[in-house]
Amino acid sequence: MKKIKRMLKIHRIFMAQEFKRMMEYKGDFIVGVIGFFLVQLSNLMFLWIIFGQIPNLAGWSVNEVVFIYGLSLIPKGIDHFFFDNLWSIGYFTVRKGDFDKYLTRPVNTLFHVLVEKIQIDALGEFIMGVALVCASVPNLHTEWDVFRILAMIFMIPFITLIFTGVKTITASVAFWTKRSGNVIYMFYTFSEFAKYPATIYNRFVQNIITYIIPFALTSYFPALFILKGENPLFNLGMPVLASAVLMGTGVLVWHRGIRAYESAGS
Amino acid sequence: MMKRKLKIYLPFVNAGMQEVATYRVNWIFFMLGEALSCFVTYFIWAAVYSSGSKESMNGFTMPQMIVYIVLMFLTGTIIASDGAFVVGEEIRDGSIIMRMIKPVSYNATFLFQELGNKLPTEIAIAVPMIITVEIIRTVMSGMFEFNVLRLVLYILSCALAYLINFYFNICFGFIAFVIKYLWGANMMKNVIVGFLSGMVIPLSFLPEAIEKVFLFLPFSSLNYTPVMIYMGKYGGTELLYCVGLQIFWVLFFFGLSKLLWKASVKRLSAQGG
Amino acid sequence: MITVDKLRKEFKKTVKEPGLKGSVKSLFKPKSKKVIAVRDISFEVPKGEILGFIGPNGAGKSTVIKMLTGILTPTSGSCTINGKNPTQNRKNYVKEIGVVFGQRTQLWWDLPLRETYGVLKEIYEVPDDSYKKRMAFLNEVLELDDFISSPVRTLSLGQRMRADIAASLLHSPKVLFLDEPTIGLDVVVKDNIRKAIEHINHHEKTTVILTTHDLADIEQLSKRIVMIDKGSKVFDGTISDLKSKYGQIREMYFETGSKNAVEVLGYAKHFNLGDDDLSVETEGNAVKVRFNSSAVPVSDMLSYTLGKINISDISVKDADIEEIIRKLYEQGVE
Repeated sequence: MKKIKRMLKIHRIFMAQEFKRMMEYKGDFIVGVIGFFLVQLSNLMFLWIIFGQIPNLAGWSVNEVVFIYGLSLIPKGIDHFFFDNLWSIGYFTVRKGDFDKYLTRPVNTLFHVLVEKIQIDALGEFIMGVALVCASVPNLHTEWDVFRILAMIFMIPFITLIFTGVKTITASVAFWTKRSGNVIYMFYTFSEFAKYPATIYNRFVQNIITYIIPFALTSYFPALFILKGENPLFNLGMPVLASAVLMGTGVLVWHRGIRAYESAGS
Repeated sequence: MMKRKLKIYLPFVNAGMQEVATYRVNWIFFMLGEALSCFVTYFIWAAVYSSGSKESMNGFTMPQMIVYIVLMFLTGTIIASDGAFVVGEEIRDGSIIMRMIKPVSYNATFLFQELGNKLPTEIAIAVPMIITVEIIRTVMSGMFEFNVLRLVLYILSCALAYLINFYFNICFGFIAFVIKYLWGANMMKNVIVGFLSGMVIPLSFLPEAIEKVFLFLPFSSLNYTPVMIYMGKYGGTELLYCVGLQIFWVLFFFGLSKLLWKASVKRLSAQGG
Repeated sequence: MITVDKLRKEFKKTVKEPGLKGSVKSLFKPKSKKVIAVRDISFEVPKGEILGFIGPNGAGKSTVIKMLTGILTPTSGSCTINGKNPTQNRKNYVKEIGVVFGQRTQLWWDLPLRETYGVLKEIYEVPDDSYKKRMAFLNEVLELDDFISSPVRTLSLGQRMRADIAASLLHSPKVLFLDEPTIGLDVVVKDNIRKAIEHINHHEKTTVILTTHDLADIEQLSKRIVMIDKGSKVFDGTISDLKSKYGQIREMYFETGSKNAVEVLGYAKHFNLGDDDLSVETEGNAVKVRFNSSAVPVSDMLSYTLGKINISDISVKDADIEEIIRKLYEQGVE
């Protein structure tokens, strides 16, 4: 309990520093937010144009597709906002030996890395996600009940950890190879598959994104339950299980990696 | 004269090649990531074509769309340029001053270094991808359509597109005088250019008026023109017009980069370093 | 009290053949060889000592320091501070130490310096009242007041170093590691930093382990030296030990009006000295002769020189520590 209190306090302190830093570079951060907003907007234009050509996408209505798309952006945006610092571990912190700093401090290194920075750019993703979910909800033929709404809110932290877990595992690779930025990039790109209903992919891809790099669990499967009330045990249970497995593996690989860390220089 | 010039810049080509060899594994993962996005696009189009009733949409059949996706990916890789980042970084850390005292053209050294960086990898991915495209096309449409002339024109058009992109990026890099967050600015640029150049969706899917505007803008000269040439969508005068337009944009951005350089020299000397 | 016991670190180094073929080969079948960076080093540092840790480039200095600070995991052996061990409980261990790497900073780059201390206070769980006292003390010793409100990126190198040392001392560590603390600084600033380190060591009985290329740091600050070369400890003792063991080198200066004095003297031929034992430099009228006093006694040298030519001024002194160590680095230690 005391430990959690201390972690929360450190988190708060780091957040405060980050906001102060942002105030120094206000204009630049707006650039990032708009940038990520535009990325999503361009994808939406794509959806809008193709839905002008077809009545539905493999049986999914435009509103359902938009809901799944929007839902995928919320946890992705949250992970991006809070835990983006993992990218720098993969790209340069380890390679340049700057990881030394974390090891000389009396704080869990993974925790320290995770909470040290926030990435305001992520608001572009997050806001777009919330907006899309909100815009699609009134037009969905879904019977909403309290349980479904609660399920949606309850799932978000777990789903976020699926992103963070994949990033932690792949970032840790840098402890052995010095550089793993593009390894993170490759695995993170699998989340692109999460934006659309998994039924548009073939069996092989579906299996990969459900069981191996399980980004289908981040929006498609929860959406199956939220939209259609299907199979809550699998659709909600699997994402929770996957987040625990991935984050747990991440923590293990990370601490294994630290032992292999070679710093830099002579 | 030309020979002497080449002699100065050849070491940069070599340095670029060495660099690539060092970071090969990293590069492979990057390309795999990029390829994944392609797969997503492919599956969406597959679903679109099987959900719609028409066999051809805006002039594209499903096999053609696959060819389009693969070629867009290939072309995007071939013409990619890091100039915006390099120039931006120099402006941010002030090392751009160093350019004023160097006897060689900085843009040219960078161009040659990047070429050295790209040539081996481009050849390594272009050959198998072109073969793949031809196999896909032959299997799906039942006709062998490979045409040497088109391939030659495609390579020429790609070369022009690379030069446009190179000088456009050099120009864009000067934005660092205004925006310090280069990564963000760069991402914004990539999204907009991606959309305008048909990376997201073929321009013929857009409303006609918008398509016309986009086709005139420099960005369709980047990916779209070479791909359309390879696919045989442009014939005769249209082809000449598009390549002519590409040449125009090369010259335009080349000139603009010179102007921006002059303006920043003025600015830098006014600041007194 | 620090105890280092048979500390060893091995690295795996991938061997890459040159050229494109080599890189392709290493991609599929990476070859690696074992490199022993540190070979079973042992030593102890009592509380309150300033230890100079030296060695030529690539000797394994940084690797040892990084193991002592919990950054690298030793292949075998251990280091303990008051019974605490970094491999068993890193978090507990690092609370006991402060670390400054001269080429890196742990300060928050974009924010005013003050903010860094605020964050470190929380990280190290320093209570409010001790924090206040501590800051007042550090302020006095390191004179932070002038720039504590400036963003770190605007600090000069000397200010940044003072700020970094203060950051490493905020939690009153028992041991302070300083890796190249004066690198790139001018003479006056170097001197200030040395004085501050001395003051803190004296005042708080903080044990200091110092690595540096500037041997003046060592000469001014530490009584004891541990020298390593090629991963092994080659010397452990006081500076005077080092001088008496290796310091038979003497330097003789004189001024003379005679032309061709050096040719006339012909030391090498007369005393039959090799290059290792003799070097002569001239600058105008001034001549500097560096010679090994175990090969030629000082008295012989003096009487020979004075008897041969006209001398206006002459002096002989011990070579300084820098001279000795340079010689050791060049020749290796037997």
